Amino acid sequence: MANVLWLQGGACSGNTMSFLNAEEPTVVELITDFGVNILWHPSIGLEIGQQVEHLMNDIKKGKVQLDILVFEGSIIQGPNGSGTMNYFCDRPMMDWVKELSAVAAFVVAIGDCATWGGIPAVPPNPSESTGFQFHKDKKGGFLGANYKSKGGLPVINIPGCPAHPDWISQILVAIATGRIGDVLLDEFHRPKTFFTDFVQTGCPNAISFAQKVDGHFGKRGGCLFYEVGCRGPMTRASCNRILWNRTSSKTRANHPCLGCTEPGFPHHDLMPGSVFKTMKYLGFLPKDVPTGTNKMAYYMRAGFEKAMGAVENMTGANKEHFETSK
Amino acid sequence: MASTYKELNISPVGRVEGDLDVKVFMEDGVVTRAHTQAAMFRGFERIMAGKDPQSGLIVTPRICGICGGSHLYCASSALDTAWKTHLSPNALLLRALGQATETIQSIPRWFYAIFATDMANKKFANKPLYEEVVRRWSAYVGTSFQRGVTASGRPVEVYALFGGQWPHSSYMVPGGVMCAPTLKDITRAHAIMNHFRNDWLETVWLGCSIERYMQIKSWDDMMAWVEENESQRNSDLGLLIRAGLEFGLDKFGQGVGKFLAYGTYLHKDLYNTPTVEGRQHAVISPGGFYDGSKFHAMNHLDIQEHVKHSWYADVPAAHPWDEPLPTPMQSQNLNDTDFKGKYSWSKAPRYMGHSAEVGPLARVIMNANPANEKHQIHDPLFLDIMNKLGPSVFTRVLARVHEAPRLYTFIDQWLREINLDGEFYVKPTERDGKGWGATEAARGALAHWIEIEDGIIKNYQVMAPTTWNVGPNDELGNSGPIEAALEGTEIEDPHDPVEVGMVARSFDSCLVCTVHAHDGKSGQELAKFKL
Repeated sequence: MANVLWLQGGACSGNTMSFLNAEEPTVVELITDFGVNILWHPSIGLEIGQQVEHLMNDIKKGKVQLDILVFEGSIIQGPNGSGTMNYFCDRPMMDWVKELSAVAAFVVAIGDCATWGGIPAVPPNPSESTGFQFHKDKKGGFLGANYKSKGGLPVINIPGCPAHPDWISQILVAIATGRIGDVLLDEFHRPKTFFTDFVQTGCPNAISFAQKVDGHFGKRGGCLFYEVGCRGPMTRASCNRILWNRTSSKTRANHPCLGCTEPGFPHHDLMPGSVFKTMKYLGFLPKDVPTGTNKMAYYMRAGFEKAMGAVENMTGANKEHFETSK
Repeated sequence: MASTYKELNISPVGRVEGDLDVKVFMEDGVVTRAHTQAAMFRGFERIMAGKDPQSGLIVTPRICGICGGSHLYCASSALDTAWKTHLSPNALLLRALGQATETIQSIPRWFYAIFATDMANKKFANKPLYEEVVRRWSAYVGTSFQRGVTASGRPVEVYALFGGQWPHSSYMVPGGVMCAPTLKDITRAHAIMNHFRNDWLETVWLGCSIERYMQIKSWDDMMAWVEENESQRNSDLGLLIRAGLEFGLDKFGQGVGKFLAYGTYLHKDLYNTPTVEGRQHAVISPGGFYDGSKFHAMNHLDIQEHVKHSWYADVPAAHPWDEPLPTPMQSQNLNDTDFKGKYSWSKAPRYMGHSAEVGPLARVIMNANPANEKHQIHDPLFLDIMNKLGPSVFTRVLARVHEAPRLYTFIDQWLREINLDGEFYVKPTERDGKGWGATEAARGALAHWIEIEDGIIKNYQVMAPTTWNVGPNDELGNSGPIEAALEGTEIEDPHDPVEVGMVARSFDSCLVCTVHAHDGKSGQELAKFKL
């Protein structure tokens, strides 16, 4: 049995909506079969007004045990560090967060806003938003780099815009069933079980990537890395292993990966020329290359493959691998 | 007995998506005045200013995780009109499918997770149907709760087939859509929608076929339908109608009695050359303004926003395109707010000077407009219901759920119309200019305005449905729709003011969209609209 309090700061409710799509287990099964007791949730909690405030105060005083604090949305500190741009139960939400983080056994930050600030923290960051323990890729954030919850872990970050529902529900189950020891965190506090492989792992266009066959919008087949800014090779997430809505993933629907599980999303802070376009040097060398590859080595290899591909195209060799059909 | 005056602060209202606070003034247990307060800001439009013109495709769906597809529909349309793109029939169909699957998803999800649990509140414990309502609709454990919430995930699986995921896809782009579906996708989409129909829509919800339900044209038809057989009478819709009337949900939450819809679902053959002027003719779900007795054509130039009671320096009411950048003022918490002054981050939009309700009820009223064109919906039902019952919590809920069968048939038809040999995307030429995109999100009229200059976003404005519904008083002191709907409501137990929640939830308020942005450091406005 684990008591869960779910709160939203500078949030769009997207992680809640995503969570409600959970399949294995479903939200209802979490509660009925896996011992998760939701103390309150902004979208599905039954209490309103003072009832919520009383609950919050009881948790603060230790009268109600808080096993997991789940937080969605950025920590809003504006204006001027006051946090009054986000009131909750008549106080700045950030004040509640500080107090609840001190009593919670585990803190789980869900989505990019709670983990590293997300879109609200894009310059000029009008709401002075930040994440729980990171601001973009810098450790620190609202609670500071050294924060650990009573359970002995830093904030568990489940990034993504939104996070996949199964990433959320499976971590809640791990805590509720005493398997949190099996959850290893990486340098960005992400559970390694979901964030070790790259989005490219399992992408149906991986062979087109390897052989430098370009894809584009409205077209079947081809890799989206070279023209429309796909970040699959440099984004750690299991989107092509645990599919979205049981059926698909961005890259399976010919949608470039936006890199939303990496700190820094939206990448390049939406600067002109960065949205659905591959940023390039000299008009043809991708500025961002697959994680773990040396840039020059990548350009040489890719250039060779591209040239080979062009020759193969002219001679008609290897054509069968890139045929598509409606 | 002497009158008792009481003020009630409700923070948070809960189950409304986002942070809504409400202050009500009561006399003898009846609300005499109510004020709604939007209590959170992020500043999206400020973030978008100066950025890549396509930023809205990534940023705006993330304004609201519930209506992300609707924001995307607007963002892509706004760019289409600014860049003068060409849209293929396939592109229009696939965008409409995204909008429709998101909206139909919202119907069971909203009904069971957000609304119906209130009908299981102890307030109604003395009603004969209470026990049955509790058995079916109690949160988590009700027999229909899990089926409904699980079924709500199905339509967005179809969205994911074409958009990759729901929520937060960006698959609609100026010039069309990213995807190029295959026969496999179309067949799977049909199969998934069949599951939705068989697992919930016809079996749990209607207790009859979609075709039978669609024959209902008047309130008398509706009541006859309920009593026609046990299956319909005992369906969740049958129970909603019987219990809704027994619990008196038709007796409160009237609102302002004026309704606005932008309309949506751009017809595959009528919007291949997108223009602002050509939009209203091209929609399948018609737009319009209904003033309580007459229908008027919808013109976005008739929209103005008021800031007298919003936390911005005073300026005269103006169209979003003509407003000066507002200067933010210091906000207060609900307790310390003086409601004679400024009290919300939401502005107060007005149509031809009127406070207007947006949402499913507005849409189904427009469906009854005799002037609707041939390709548009013709459905007289809700004009009849408005004449017989008037607006209320009950009417609003009934309007929302009424859309599910029709949307199912639209989705089925549009999937059939996709031409797998046709184009899905035509690469546009980027240019400077102004654009406007609009739609009907599940909860009502949504629009984006964009201005691109020197290849970057100069101005981006979003007006969300909840801004219309939850906005504060205007310059003349007229209430916003939810404020008005709360007036006259009887509150039985001030410690559990479930009636306030039911009124707010009947509008399906979504505060995450309504928050106004402001730059705390420079004090500079972040744009003229709520994001």
